[in-house]
Amino acid sequence: MTSQTATTNRSKLVVESSITDKKKIRGKVKGTILGPIIALVIFLSLWQAIPILFDIKPFILPKPTDVLQAAIDDWHLLWPAIQITVTESIIGFIISAIVGIGISILLASSRILEVSLYPYAVILQTIPVVAIAPIIVIWFGSGFNSIVIISFLIGFFPVVSNTLMGLNSVDKNMGDLFTLYNASKWQMMWKLRIPAAMPYMMSGLKISCTLAIVGAITGEFIAGIGGGRGGLGYAITVAAVQLKTPYLFACAIAGAIFGIGFYLLVSSISRFVLKSWHESAMKVEK
Amino acid sequence: MGAIQKEVVSFKGVDKIYNTGTVALSQLELSIKEGEFISFLGPSGCGKSTALRMVAGLGEATKGKVEVFGQKPKDLIRNSNDIAYVFQDSNLLPWRTVLDNVVLPLELRGFNKNTRKEIALGVLEMVGLKDYLTSYPRQLSGGMKTRVSIARALAAKPKLLLMDEPFAALDEMTRQSLQMDLLDIWKKEHTTILFVTHNVYEAVYLSSKIAVMSARPGRLASLIDVGLPYPRDRVNSEFTEYVDLASQSLEHSLNRKELV
Ligand SMILES: Nc1ncnc2c1ncn2[C@@H]1O[C@H](COP(=O)(O)OP(=O)(O)OP(=O)(O)O)[C@@H](O)[C@H]1O
Ligand SMILES: [Mg+2]
Repeated sequence: MTSQTATTNRSKLVVESSITDKKKIRGKVKGTILGPIIALVIFLSLWQAIPILFDIKPFILPKPTDVLQAAIDDWHLLWPAIQITVTESIIGFIISAIVGIGISILLASSRILEVSLYPYAVILQTIPVVAIAPIIVIWFGSGFNSIVIISFLIGFFPVVSNTLMGLNSVDKNMGDLFTLYNASKWQMMWKLRIPAAMPYMMSGLKISCTLAIVGAITGEFIAGIGGGRGGLGYAITVAAVQLKTPYLFACAIAGAIFGIGFYLLVSSISRFVLKSWHESAMKVEK
Repeated sequence: MGAIQKEVVSFKGVDKIYNTGTVALSQLELSIKEGEFISFLGPSGCGKSTALRMVAGLGEATKGKVEVFGQKPKDLIRNSNDIAYVFQDSNLLPWRTVLDNVVLPLELRGFNKNTRKEIALGVLEMVGLKDYLTSYPRQLSGGMKTRVSIARALAAKPKLLLMDEPFAALDEMTRQSLQMDLLDIWKKEHTTILFVTHNVYEAVYLSSKIAVMSARPGRLASLIDVGLPYPRDRVNSEFTEYVDLASQSLEHSLNRKELV
């Protein structure tokens, strides 16, 4: 009898503590969402107030409402520009993902290749893209192709360095297990090294997706317009020359919103891919 | 119990010196016969894992010779499924389900799909995990993971099963039930088992022979024949005698280290 009451008491306790846990979690979620929103509201209000208080002209510092107005007024220009930049960065990103992963697998499958080529990949990475962009324009013409290539070049390296690290960080015991069953090099790669590298690969892709956008916009600064229609980067240069500052802000903010969206998309793809096993993807469950 | 029992593993004057200068094994002489359950018992760092890895062809002797079924281990694993290894932690692939983990050795050896599933289901049933085929390792308890890794080792029907402290991380209850299961499997499959442990009770409960090792340099301190019939009774006075005997040789090997 006594032991029974003890257990019911204990289960009550457990239930209660799980309720408080839930409350705590809900409170945490509220905190993590509410906090940034409050910060944003304060930021926007200050931004709105300062030009009014100090009588700053819109072409120096436009108010949020000016920016919104400019976006609405010039939507027929802004929307095509967004579409172009989005297309360029997504293509650039996909190429950097495919080429990056492909090259990593190639390098990782041969020690000699890796040792002799990886240093050059690092050196290539340290060359600022702005410096090689003109050459790319000379080779591939101004416009879409060059911009995609620049976006690819910027996004490429994080994929390679992360994937390579993953492919080379296989647990020793797991490697031994495969050796014990006389696994071929090919089996080691596809059944062990690539799956083990997945989390690394995904974090490389998360970095490179935002870089691909930076690449596309930078590319548009330099490779400008090709075929008559420019993206956000081109729109920004034009707006700057014409002192259409509110529109310039609208373009920049559109780029940022796309960047966030793209990052969230890639993150959720990565979470889906890693769902079955990776710990950082499991935190949600805990 | 004929006099001409087939030799499965032989260590002949084996030294192992790692390139860090650590002498892990020194002059190891040991012969293991078919059907034996032999435990390597010794303090941490005495070279138990090193010895086991050499039997599996995962490490080379610096001096001397290790042979399994009269062959070099490296050659043996290249063209047969005779050796299986249960690692110190369960060493499951986290991205594969229980079934797919158990199937792995067969997959690597090129068995066809139906055969490997059939075999895997058989061994998973043997270790009592038939209901967890689609679970991932992270969803299993420590004991269940150990069972999966034993099932994986058994999948390719090895003649020699190497086990490196498979139960070290488990609680006493789980450990005891797995020990009983292991003995059942040993009887049923007629495998030779090389089992590493630093638990004296475990060694006495399981083994037909205990190889007590001493540390630094790792060498064979004594070889104990455990002459108790299976299944063994843990509270029996004879059992306790063997435990004492093994503990004494273990202590002796430790003391000798201090004298040096
Ligand atoms: N790869 C290695 N390189 C250098 N030294 C090593 C290596 N592996 C093991 N050693 C050393 O060899 C000795 C024996 O190691 P081993 O792992 O065989 O011990 P063990 O008996 O299995 O110990 P434990 O019970 O802790 O697992 C130790 O001193 C260890 O530091
Ligand atoms: Mg060990």
